[in-house]
Amino acid sequence: MRLTEIPTFQPRLKVFNRDQVLAVHGAALEILEKTGFKMEHPGALQMLADAGCTVVNDDWVKMPGYLAEQALQTAPKAFALYDQQGNKTMPLVNGNSFYGPGSDTTFTIDLETGQRRRTVLQDTANFAKLVDGLENMSFAMSMSNPEDVPIENIYVYAFAEIVKNTNKPIVFIADSGKDIAKIYEIACFVAGGEEEFQQKPFILNYSEAISPLRFPENVLDRLIFCAQKRIPLCFPSGSNAGGGAPVTLAGAMALGIAENLVGLVVHQLTNKGAPFLFGPNVSILDMKSTVVSYGCPEWSLTQAALADMRDELYGLPIWAFAGASDAKIMDAQAGAESMFSIITSMLSRCNLIHDSGYLEYGGISSLEMLTMNNELVAMSRSFTNGIPINSETLALEAIERVASVPGSMFLTDDHTFENFMQAQFLPKLLDRTRYDGWAESGSTDLYKRCNMETKRILAEHQVDPKLDDVLMAIDKVCKGR
Amino acid sequence: MNDFQVVVDAVHKGDIKTAVAETQKALDKGADVQEFLDKALIATMDDVGENFSKGITFVPQMLRSAKTMQECMKLLASSFQEGAVKSKGKVLIGTVKGDLHDIGKNLVAMMLEGAGFIITDLGVDVHPDKFVHKAQEIEPDIIAMSALLSTTMPSMPLTIEALEKAGIRDKVKVIIGGAPVTGKYAKEIKADSYGSDAGASVNLAKSLLGLS
Ligand code: B12
Repeated sequence: MRLTEIPTFQPRLKVFNRDQVLAVHGAALEILEKTGFKMEHPGALQMLADAGCTVVNDDWVKMPGYLAEQALQTAPKAFALYDQQGNKTMPLVNGNSFYGPGSDTTFTIDLETGQRRRTVLQDTANFAKLVDGLENMSFAMSMSNPEDVPIENIYVYAFAEIVKNTNKPIVFIADSGKDIAKIYEIACFVAGGEEEFQQKPFILNYSEAISPLRFPENVLDRLIFCAQKRIPLCFPSGSNAGGGAPVTLAGAMALGIAENLVGLVVHQLTNKGAPFLFGPNVSILDMKSTVVSYGCPEWSLTQAALADMRDELYGLPIWAFAGASDAKIMDAQAGAESMFSIITSMLSRCNLIHDSGYLEYGGISSLEMLTMNNELVAMSRSFTNGIPINSETLALEAIERVASVPGSMFLTDDHTFENFMQAQFLPKLLDRTRYDGWAESGSTDLYKRCNMETKRILAEHQVDPKLDDVLMAIDKVCKGR
Repeated sequence: MNDFQVVVDAVHKGDIKTAVAETQKALDKGADVQEFLDKALIATMDDVGENFSKGITFVPQMLRSAKTMQECMKLLASSFQEGAVKSKGKVLIGTVKGDLHDIGKNLVAMMLEGAGFIITDLGVDVHPDKFVHKAQEIEPDIIAMSALLSTTMPSMPLTIEALEKAGIRDKVKVIIGGAPVTGKYAKEIKADSYGSDAGASVNLAKSLLGLS
């Protein structure tokens, strides 16, 4: 019997219905029209005024909703990040999820001693190299705020170090218009020229507005620079529920989206069609500890809701987080919180998902946790891929064979041999050995196994090296010539 | 049982209306202002602060209690000016140059205010000279600096240097805090102390000024 082809349903999480989407979007526009925002960048202020905004009290701007709608129209609905060798590895379109680490942590867990210590440039290198070697980590980020480089150029040094240690796409931070120009210069060297870079951009800038409703000059400098050069950019603000934003998630989302829309409008007024990754960061301020949580369910919930807003309304690819925790060591809490955000971000089809490997609400980076998350992403993918239905997977013939031939079993049937690799998720680090075997091989926990695997990758993985003249050019830019 | 039990309860609950009405009543009856401040308000806020540290009280509840206390304090304001009561001390606070994170700094300011300190808040992105000028103007007991970024931490020693140059470093205590800041760093830059969170900042401030 041959079945007609049945499309595979891929499990999908939905949080908002259309009415909710429209209500939150409407609230965001109302914030821009009625409350307004503080625009501290004179050029952007002028641009907004010329486009039809009202400016009151020097730099307070009220924006008509249609400007946001126009910007949503002109921004590309899909764009891609390339790797540093020109391959289109991250097509950011509806449905694709890509995971990677986060930015500036102050501390890291030392791979040898297991102790929390200040991050240095070698950590930036290690994280980049590890990302390069992990198949489910799609892009690199600094994961550190290195103590041992000149502080006024910290983001340039961090970027250069990442370039030297991975060929995957890079999400980067900059401080001002000055260091972003240097970072762009390096990126152009790597790509082989400005035109080549524009054809196949491999970097994305992570800049943030200040919740509530404040747009500092240096942040807008970066946004405008990125728009002009068509460097993809995300622009989340810290509209954390109870901190930078109202404690209720709906209001926090509306505020964060309003702030994002301001960025998008200036961005598209600067250069129509320049790539913009949509989405705020809406976590919560924990009401006991006063930390902004990286392990809470709320952040996962708001970004899943944002994914629904993308599907119903915005159409732009979105920015998200996952694989992070508030735990101080890579313990069971870290595993639980990490998996919670990984699976939900995938089930809601978030697009570019950062912060994997964060502990202590973004204070500590952990190499072992990044290695663990690589496996958790694989596990989640095996789930979200769903259950394909066809004659091969229904296996009626195999059932017939095993049932009719006495003494036969599925394990020995050809169908099993031919299908088991695709049919099952085959873990590498999650332990399923029998007790005695586990005890004999050292009674390791997941943390220990991730530690060993990380050390193995850092020792064995080869990153395709950059050409000598590229390396020299990079060093020149770092040292300021 | 406290003479001002109704006020104490109202501050605990954050019941502004009752607290203010009862404060007025107490003042009308001629209550000793200093005693009222200490027993009805500050002691209660100490309690609330302690409950917060223990995880019994949540931040919004604590802040509501602080607000309740502030409203009652307004009624005592005339006594402050006449010098009949003393505040715990004056604190000049701000987020350092280049840094725009302010939620933690605001929380620290509110906690200190709740504990009876008088706060002058310079906001965010505060240049060392601005700290110095304001300090010369208001003569605070404590200067509190917040930094959330590794890149802005160096503004802290620069501010301390500026205080030295202006000849007022030994007239104030300097406390620092924020996510990347550590006790070790505080020692290195010769700050007087470091606090890891808003609750800690109150104890810090008190102990630096030799208050219980
Ligand atoms: C919210 C947030 C923002 C918001 C801030 C909004 C606002 N109005 O403040 C926005 C989005 C604007 C933002 C921007 C940036 N941020 Co930010 N941000 C955070 C976040 C998530 C939470 C901070 C917060 O508000 N916490 C809640 C408050 C209540 O806690 P707190 O600030 O720690 O304060 C408590 C204690 O530290 C202490 N304390 C604080 N100050 C003081 C002072 C004294 C005297 C004492 C005693 C105690 C004390 O008491 C407070 C209350 O308990 C943290 C990560 C995190 N989870 O901590 C990153 C974080 C601080 N940001 C970071 C970065 C890198 C940035 C950006 C550079 C990112 C970018 N791409 O541009 C920009 C910089 C902007 C600038 N120039 O300042 C990094 C810093 C890393 C580093 N070592 O430098 C962090 C750690 C995140 C990360 N891991 O990457 N951010």
